[in-house]
Amino acid sequence: MPPETASAAEAAPRNEHSRGRRVGSWQEHHRWSAAASLRRLAARPLGSLLTIAVMGLALALPLAFYLLLGNVQKLGDALGQSQAISVFMQPGQNAQQAQLLARQLGARPEVASVSIKTPQQGMDELAKMQGFSGALQTLDSNPLPYVLQLQPRAELSAGAVTQLVADVRGMRSVDMVQDSGSWRQRLDALLAVGNRAVLVLASLLTLAALLVVGNTVRVDIASRSEEIGVLLLVGASGAFVRRPYLYAGIWYGLFSGMLAALLAVLIELALAGPVAQLSQAYDGKLQVGGLPLWLLLAVPLAAAALGWLGARLVSAWQLRKAV
Amino acid sequence: MIHFDQVSKRYEGGHEALSQLSFEVPTGEMAFVTGHSGAGKSTLLKLLGLIERPSHGVITLDGQNLAKIRRGGIPKLRRRIGMVFQDHRLLMERTVFANVELPLVIGGVARAERARRVRAALEKVGLLPYERQLPATLSTGEQQRVGIARAIVARPTLLIADEPTGNLDPQLALEVMGLFGEFQQVGTTVLIASHDLPLIKRMKKRVIVLDHGRLVADLASQEVL
Repeated sequence: MPPETASAAEAAPRNEHSRGRRVGSWQEHHRWSAAASLRRLAARPLGSLLTIAVMGLALALPLAFYLLLGNVQKLGDALGQSQAISVFMQPGQNAQQAQLLARQLGARPEVASVSIKTPQQGMDELAKMQGFSGALQTLDSNPLPYVLQLQPRAELSAGAVTQLVADVRGMRSVDMVQDSGSWRQRLDALLAVGNRAVLVLASLLTLAALLVVGNTVRVDIASRSEEIGVLLLVGASGAFVRRPYLYAGIWYGLFSGMLAALLAVLIELALAGPVAQLSQAYDGKLQVGGLPLWLLLAVPLAAAALGWLGARLVSAWQLRKAV
Repeated sequence: MIHFDQVSKRYEGGHEALSQLSFEVPTGEMAFVTGHSGAGKSTLLKLLGLIERPSHGVITLDGQNLAKIRRGGIPKLRRRIGMVFQDHRLLMERTVFANVELPLVIGGVARAERARRVRAALEKVGLLPYERQLPATLSTGEQQRVGIARAIVARPTLLIADEPTGNLDPQLALEVMGLFGEFQQVGTTVLIASHDLPLIKRMKKRVIVLDHGRLVADLASQEVL
């Protein structure tokens, strides 16, 4: 074998060995940085806890609002399901005409069900109400019309319900329509505002959490400027110097995310009792839920990423000033 | 080899620390840079470690023009240089072992090899029994020797020291200088900034004399009285 070939053949495994050694050393420094940054957090428990608490609260607030809005949405859905549209027929319409109209309306795709309330049933309901029984006895005949109780499909949008009401109102045999859709529209509009407000609030509070972790890391770096100076003088790269601070950001984020998720669960638990009572009042139709498990698990991870980002931005800026 | 060619350094504010400085230090030579306070000794060493950049002129180290090294390349250069400081610059929260180990960790040396080389360096400076202690428990002279062990552990091609004996008594100072002499004997270029003239004379090595940033004398070892 010529000397050049032998040398190249020897160099290849040496390079691989060197690369493997560097990767091993890189991993070792990651482990060291993760452990050292955790020890530094533990070394000043009060400061670390305060930072984590501030970040945790900042992240818990949007979660709480998200939980609240989600449940208001569900409450609206539950109430919407129980709201029938009352169709009052023209006076003098008989049972056959009422059944014909009921069949017509029931055939519409927007309608889930139709029931007929006879004038006598209406009179009986009135008679049960306190103060009406005496007045009703003075009547010669039953003045109440046939009323159709129309139940729109649950998945129907507020706009579609409004359109249905307008269509029914225009029918010749219909005298009046009592529409519960308008309150639903208002609720949907309020929910849309609430969703947007939560989004804005979440963005602002996320920024606040980013600034909190950034400032904490900034102070940490400033207090260790001598150590950083030494590291740089003995040949440490920026990435090497930054690594423990990035892990500190990750720890702050992770712990504050866990705290935020815990607070959200506590809020859910605090609301569980009153919500159960409310659900009972709606015959169990009201299904109020908590935050999904995936979100509770995702919050600490996202917060850890946020902590890393805050630490990365600040450390890059701070270390630019170092020698 | 260190080569300074018409190197000047002017700080912000106008103070000229070095003025048109030209000299060479061959590989494996030990030389002292001396002069009164403010002569430019420390600035000269800072330029070599890329802590500062020259305002004019060219510095080459083993043929590499330092002006062409970008910010990202500075760590790689510094890993080739061992630096010793008057104030030691040790990490007081870490043990003697961990301080000396630092350049090897940064250089990506495997754990077992690191341990072997750190112990060899500590043995060289006579501090192996103190490897588990914190620097604060050591005397000033011992701390300086830890700094020297850290500077030589990664086997640098150049060792620079800024007033390494400034805080030491004469006997300790001589011992420390003796250590530098040993590193020179194994092929390391050694450049020491010092204003301790009696000590410099005793070492009988090349002396570069600066005054107000200018080279006023460059004495070969045999010329040192």
